[in-house]
Amino acid sequence: MEPVLTRRVGKPNSHAIDGYLEDGGYASVKKIFSESWTPERVADEVKKAGLRGRGGAGFPTGVKWGFIPKDTKGKPVYLLCNADESEPGTFKDRLLMERDPHQLVEGMILSAYAIKCRTAYIYIRGEFYDGARILDRAIEEAYAKGFLGENILGSGYSLDLYVHRGAGAYICGEETGLIESLEGKRGQPRIKPPFPAVSGVFAAPTIVNNVETLCCVPHIINRGAEWFAKIGRNEKNTGPKLYCISGHVNRPGVYEAAMGLQLKDLIFGEAYARGMRGGKAVKAVIPGGASANMLTAAEIEDCPLDFDGVAAKGSMLGSAAIIVMNEDTCIVDAARNLSKFFSHESCGQCTPCREGTPWLYKVLDRIESGEGRMEDIALLERICNQMANGMTICVFADAAIAPPLSSVLKFRDEYRHHVEHRRCLVGPRAGARAELAAV
Amino acid sequence: MSTNPSPPAGSSAAPAPPPPPQKDTFTVLFDGKPVEVPKNMNLIEAARLAGIEIPHFCFHPRLSVVGQCRMCLVEIEGIPKIQAACTTPLKDGLSVKTTTDKVKACRAANMEFLLINHPLDCPICDQAGECTLQDNSFGYGDQLSNYDEAKRQYPTFDRTMIGPHVIADMTRCIQCTRCIRFTHEIAGTGELTFLDRGGRTLVWTHAGQALDNPWSACAADVCPVGALTVREFRFRSRVWYLEKTPSLCPGGNVGCNLSIESKDSVVYRFLPRLNPEVNDYWLCDYGRFMSESLNDRDIHKATVREGTSVSDAIVPLAVERVAREIRATIETTGPSGVFFLGSAHLSNEENFLLRQVADHLACANRDAVVDKVEGGRQCRIKAQKEWVEGDEEAPNHRGAKDMGMSPAAGGYGLDAVLSGKAAPEVIVVADADFSRLANDPQTVAALRKARFLAVAGRNANALTRAADVVLPAASMAEREGTFTNVQGRVQRFQRAFLPKPPIRPVLELVAMLGRMLGYGDGSQTPPGVLEQIATEIPAYSNIRPDELEGGRLLRKGDFIWGGVL
Repeated sequence: MEPVLTRRVGKPNSHAIDGYLEDGGYASVKKIFSESWTPERVADEVKKAGLRGRGGAGFPTGVKWGFIPKDTKGKPVYLLCNADESEPGTFKDRLLMERDPHQLVEGMILSAYAIKCRTAYIYIRGEFYDGARILDRAIEEAYAKGFLGENILGSGYSLDLYVHRGAGAYICGEETGLIESLEGKRGQPRIKPPFPAVSGVFAAPTIVNNVETLCCVPHIINRGAEWFAKIGRNEKNTGPKLYCISGHVNRPGVYEAAMGLQLKDLIFGEAYARGMRGGKAVKAVIPGGASANMLTAAEIEDCPLDFDGVAAKGSMLGSAAIIVMNEDTCIVDAARNLSKFFSHESCGQCTPCREGTPWLYKVLDRIESGEGRMEDIALLERICNQMANGMTICVFADAAIAPPLSSVLKFRDEYRHHVEHRRCLVGPRAGARAELAAV
Repeated sequence: MSTNPSPPAGSSAAPAPPPPPQKDTFTVLFDGKPVEVPKNMNLIEAARLAGIEIPHFCFHPRLSVVGQCRMCLVEIEGIPKIQAACTTPLKDGLSVKTTTDKVKACRAANMEFLLINHPLDCPICDQAGECTLQDNSFGYGDQLSNYDEAKRQYPTFDRTMIGPHVIADMTRCIQCTRCIRFTHEIAGTGELTFLDRGGRTLVWTHAGQALDNPWSACAADVCPVGALTVREFRFRSRVWYLEKTPSLCPGGNVGCNLSIESKDSVVYRFLPRLNPEVNDYWLCDYGRFMSESLNDRDIHKATVREGTSVSDAIVPLAVERVAREIRATIETTGPSGVFFLGSAHLSNEENFLLRQVADHLACANRDAVVDKVEGGRQCRIKAQKEWVEGDEEAPNHRGAKDMGMSPAAGGYGLDAVLSGKAAPEVIVVADADFSRLANDPQTVAALRKARFLAVAGRNANALTRAADVVLPAASMAEREGTFTNVQGRVQRFQRAFLPKPPIRPVLELVAMLGRMLGYGDGSQTPPGVLEQIATEIPAYSNIRPDELEGGRLLRKGDFIWGGVL
């Protein structure tokens, strides 16, 4: 597939508006205003394209837009771009924002128009300092060229776009946590309902979309919903998709492919990651960022990387962050590492998550350091099971249990080995204690 | 229950079924049992109406619902996932299940999570005995914990004063945020906040701020555990030894409903009583910490001055001395030579009886005065719907006036006595602490100009030192009666314990004086006098019993009253 979202990434000065306009940028904005599209028509086109949210949940974008009440009771509608990309293993939005910021701005103009929004925000995580600077400049350029501000291209439609830097909290990527943070409060997810489309930021109807999702919109408008819907494995998983692959592969990075790329192709394909580093065997793959269940080497056979394909394997596509672990990876250590992240990032409002995430980390850390007991394995499972599935306000806890629970279920023998022998089955720490014992 | 309409008499023919009335309630099924509940109620409160306990920590009827302690999880028919009861909106036909295995498992799981980092220092914790964590642990938790790691510590955030009255110990905190929400939503001062996140989350004041507002100790009231405790009560008593007595705030005319918590004739603390019309769940620090003052006493017995020597006397003899002086004055000068001073600190009954005695003597000279609130103190409290503002330092000035403690036709009041326009020969002051004036030398000198000065009181002051007869009067905890607050609400306070003889309530002293002067038989009781008040004072003829009894006693930490408010 020819690159769509990343077509301009390699170009020099790809973030400047001049080059963007030369490459046909903002054509979709000119198109909808010159052809007098109604907002409904824009939304309809996106709905027909079958675009699903690229942030993780895979919810159909057009349907989400349709949740805005017909009568907003005089309240403004807000569009928020979720650029709080913090899922471990995910780095696609950063690429889009830093290399082609105008694509995002263009997508936001179209999406804002579709939901009749006059003020939009890009909530970018605090660590993306460069991204925020680049976006700021892009927005400035777009204002200067008349793509933003009052009366865009003489159409009578006005839109203001702002960049808001977060303070670096994973939980602010949860849409209601993001809204709280944007309002200047502590980033804590809200109780739903009401959903943001009814009462979001500043208690007004709000749509929160991922960067990549918004970047898809100009292409749908330019080339038509049918073109977009044809890309991909089936009509429910359409469009181009960015895959972030990291771990023990030869060529980690962001690759664009049609939705439904085979996981094996991504790992071993010449156009993609080009196989395992040092020719080692695959042990486990996390297919959708830290909050997705691990897949074993057997499970990666015939695993199309789209929302339904990965779900069929008992995991999720999430943010399409593929983390590949080779045979030398200690799975307990991997789970411990991810649990540390989650225990650091829990917002702390709900009891099970606040108390459960550090507990998981402490138990995993104990097993990893050779102090584990056989009953700890069952304990891990039990803690996981009593944290998730409605026990908390948001799905953070459900995400946090994915690495420990899936690794215990799929690599139980390795945990047992760890406990019995007080050392890793594989990896750099595998033989250390055995040698000590021999002395 | 008595208001149930009875079927109309004489309707022998089968009547057509009446049209269904417009319902202002929902029918909610709790474990299959249908219950009618008001529409605006929270599910947790509604369950209590049905007699079902849904354990919770973060929910409070007057604070915003945050649904974050996750203790109130229940199953709702039609929703596969377990739901927090406090965030589930009520609707008609809602079917709530609170006893399923899943619910029990979730509650046990939550208790386990809450306790893994809790210090379990109940033996040295003031909250023990009224601790929601203890109760819910006992009711819904497991005895054994599988937690084998180091417990979380909060160095420098434990046992620290965060305000003039509140001590915080974050190791005990369960992060329910009730205190944070109290400071934001009720006090409006917002001193408290969450710091940090995840397992390191703690509640503290904003940098450089203290938890210092007129209602700061309420933050400790709403705390379900011992994370916030009140400095004044810390380590003073185990709560299960304390007896609760419904009473009223002695410090202002808002008439906040409170309970006196006492043991062995000592008052240990005040806690608010729930009265949505007056003080709701709250109490101001000024009133709350007046509890200590009820234990103050340095007048233990009656004293009589003869010339320059002061000697102890038994109370009846001392009262008889007062009666003798009054009789002598009336015989020589007539009733205009006697002046009765009531008090805004005395109950309606005491003021009324004093006036009755004056009336019996045809004495028109009587008065009661009050100090206005000043010096930056706020006498105001948040009722359920609005703020109730008080302006007086004493609880019952309005009641004293209603009881007729003002100069009658042809009589004179305190002003005339102090300015010298009137020169009574005998002055009877029913409350030595009737006002700040009692410690003002000029006032005392003016009152002392009388030939005979009788005073009843608890604590010695300039006035009692100048008096000819001093009678030992009971404190508020040692007597009962009613006060009339700024809203005109007549509320009863009850006796927490008996006064130590020979101390007597002012009512008994006045009744004794009346008997000696030929009024009554001296056996009047507060309820009896209140009945008399109801017959003689029109505004008091129709006191509603619920208003009279006022707020409901609640256990500290348990804020749900199982009724419709």
